[in-house]
Amino acid sequence: MRTRRLTGLVGLLTAGALFLAACGDDGSNDTTTDANEDAAGEDAAGDDGADGGADDGAEDAEEAGADPDDAEFMVYALLPQGNDQPYGTTYLPPMEEAAAELGISLTITNSQYDADTQASDCEVAVAAQPDGIILWPAVGDTVRPCLQAANDAGIPVTVTNSDVNPEDEELTRGYSGPDTYGQGAASAELMCEFADGEDIGIIMINGLTGNSTAINRENGFEDTIDEQCSNVEILARQPGNWNADESQIAASEMITAVGAANIQGVYAADDTMVAGAIDALRARDIDPADLIITSIGNTFLGNPLVIDGSLDGKVFQSSSWDGENAVTLMHEVLTQDPGERIVRFMPDVKVTIDNAEDPDVEPEW
Amino acid sequence: MSQTQTDPRPPSEEQADLSTSDGLVARVRLILSRRTEGRAVALLMVVWVFTLLFEPLVWTSYEVTLGRIALVGLVALGLTAVILMGELDLAVASTLAVSGVIMASFDSLAVGVLAALATGLIVGAVNAFFVVVVGINSFIATLGMLFFLRGAAFVISGEAPVRIADVDAGIAFGQPVIGPLTPRMLLFIVAFVALYIFLSHVRVGREFYAVGGNRQAARDAGIPVVRRVFTGFMISGFISALAGVINTLERTAADPTAGSTVLLASFAAAIIGGVLLNGGRGSVFGTLIGASALGMLQVALTLSGVQVDVQNIVIGSVLLLAVITDPSSLRAAAVTARGLFRSRSERQPTG
Repeated sequence: MRTRRLTGLVGLLTAGALFLAACGDDGSNDTTTDANEDAAGEDAAGDDGADGGADDGAEDAEEAGADPDDAEFMVYALLPQGNDQPYGTTYLPPMEEAAAELGISLTITNSQYDADTQASDCEVAVAAQPDGIILWPAVGDTVRPCLQAANDAGIPVTVTNSDVNPEDEELTRGYSGPDTYGQGAASAELMCEFADGEDIGIIMINGLTGNSTAINRENGFEDTIDEQCSNVEILARQPGNWNADESQIAASEMITAVGAANIQGVYAADDTMVAGAIDALRARDIDPADLIITSIGNTFLGNPLVIDGSLDGKVFQSSSWDGENAVTLMHEVLTQDPGERIVRFMPDVKVTIDNAEDPDVEPEW
Repeated sequence: MSQTQTDPRPPSEEQADLSTSDGLVARVRLILSRRTEGRAVALLMVVWVFTLLFEPLVWTSYEVTLGRIALVGLVALGLTAVILMGELDLAVASTLAVSGVIMASFDSLAVGVLAALATGLIVGAVNAFFVVVVGINSFIATLGMLFFLRGAAFVISGEAPVRIADVDAGIAFGQPVIGPLTPRMLLFIVAFVALYIFLSHVRVGREFYAVGGNRQAARDAGIPVVRRVFTGFMISGFISALAGVINTLERTAADPTAGSTVLLASFAAAIIGGVLLNGGRGSVFGTLIGASALGMLQVALTLSGVQVDVQNIVIGSVLLLAVITDPSSLRAAAVTARGLFRSRSERQPTG
């Protein structure tokens, strides 16, 4: 009786686990590009805000899907986000499309901003001996061992979206993406410009604490305020963790702590968070148009705010440029073997009500 | 092998089974019936077959796989000591983060390591104090500690990663020292062996099962329950801190946000390994098998390029499978089903 039960249990588990394994393998057997295309397409379709560009991108990627067996190069892309974030959702399709066009078979991982998971993914990638590794650091300070291991194995590494620390640059072959410090600085320049010499107090909503992009943008903004407009005082700062809801709560708490009458401006490190901050202002019956508000990004959430006058200005960031250039840079490294480290910054275009409807700064995510 | 649970049936019934069956076969059956790792072994076998067929790189790059198992398994080992006593420690990931930050804050690596490990012991003792002295439910007490330590990690680190004083030493720490074994793997093996011996061959460790099985009975039997709970939480805190030290050394920097995936992975490894959340049943051997199955599965899925969302679905499903196929869950389901069936047949009109 007992043996029969045990056998049945093992049989049940085996069948169940085999079924699960088969589910997990569905996306993988076709390798990586296909799996990612499927997921990207699904997410883009499900993302309310990302209908146009994302869908197009996903379709294009699907059309361009090359057979990975015919791919000229095998590349691992170690990312900290993917279809779980709006930016990643629109970053991936152009990346996959470019990879298919250039004959690159991509294997994409997502560490969800966990440095240990990314380090482990890196070990797996190095063991797989790909032609190259594209790295988007989850935490910039922790990637040196990964870079060293790849270097020792003779695998070229390029960096995307958020650059490594200066002392680690020698272990990488190039960087493409935004100048995150420069973006913070450009947003501060907009703030200074709108303040026009008047003494104002502002609150600051930053990205995920400890994250390289968040730190660089905060430093860029603060340094520029200190240098260019001492009339702007940062009264309080809180992390909004790249999230509208958390940003709304953080802004609301800062308004209470500092006093609404003392606040004449808001800086948020991205569009998603600035939308949350503006909601918090409206909830207190404060008209955002009366305040100077700046941010970074170019989202479906943020662009209408510029057009309706709630958001005074922001710095353009293109997820599609970012994803596409991550692959083209790696391809350049693999095919041309340039001697020096390539740095390709995304243009820091300032978006205000004057140019918010230009096609060049059309929102993507 | 005495660290696993006792059979729920009375001993006399077991003995009767034994006496009426044929020698060796009966003994094997009895041993098997007492083991709790069956589901983990089944899963591990499935993963082996899957990886051999579809991702042999999991085996050829075994050092990577071992590294992932050690990453998933170390905190799970410490957690097992707490769960065996019917308690929870939700603060393991935060302990890992804060101890890493504390370690990196010192100029001397040795002093930093000692301070970090001491922090783990203190955190464990404070958790135990709230649970057994103040009387707060361990879920609540360690949830509070989770937030406290996470905040402390941010404050101490100045809300940014902290690089260790000697980056080269950190990189060297990540290199193999014996064959393919890195210090992380060796420390994981040492922790496993030490806990295995402690929980199965040392009286104090074996009393964890009694504390988890029936706390009042354990008290009545003269077991110092308070001290045992303190010991369990301090083991968990120490091992979490050790994981924090290892992670910080290997990454050459402490990240205040570290460990975001550790808590769930550790619980998953322990539960898949057959450790009962109510306490009193399970083994570190089961946790080891659970961590091995999870670690290999993760490496295989990553190598296959399976999206992390799909990986989470697979791991979550495996976890659910492990919980619903727990013998006690199956027994409870059978009783419920029988009750339902009986009540329906009683309601049937008789004629």
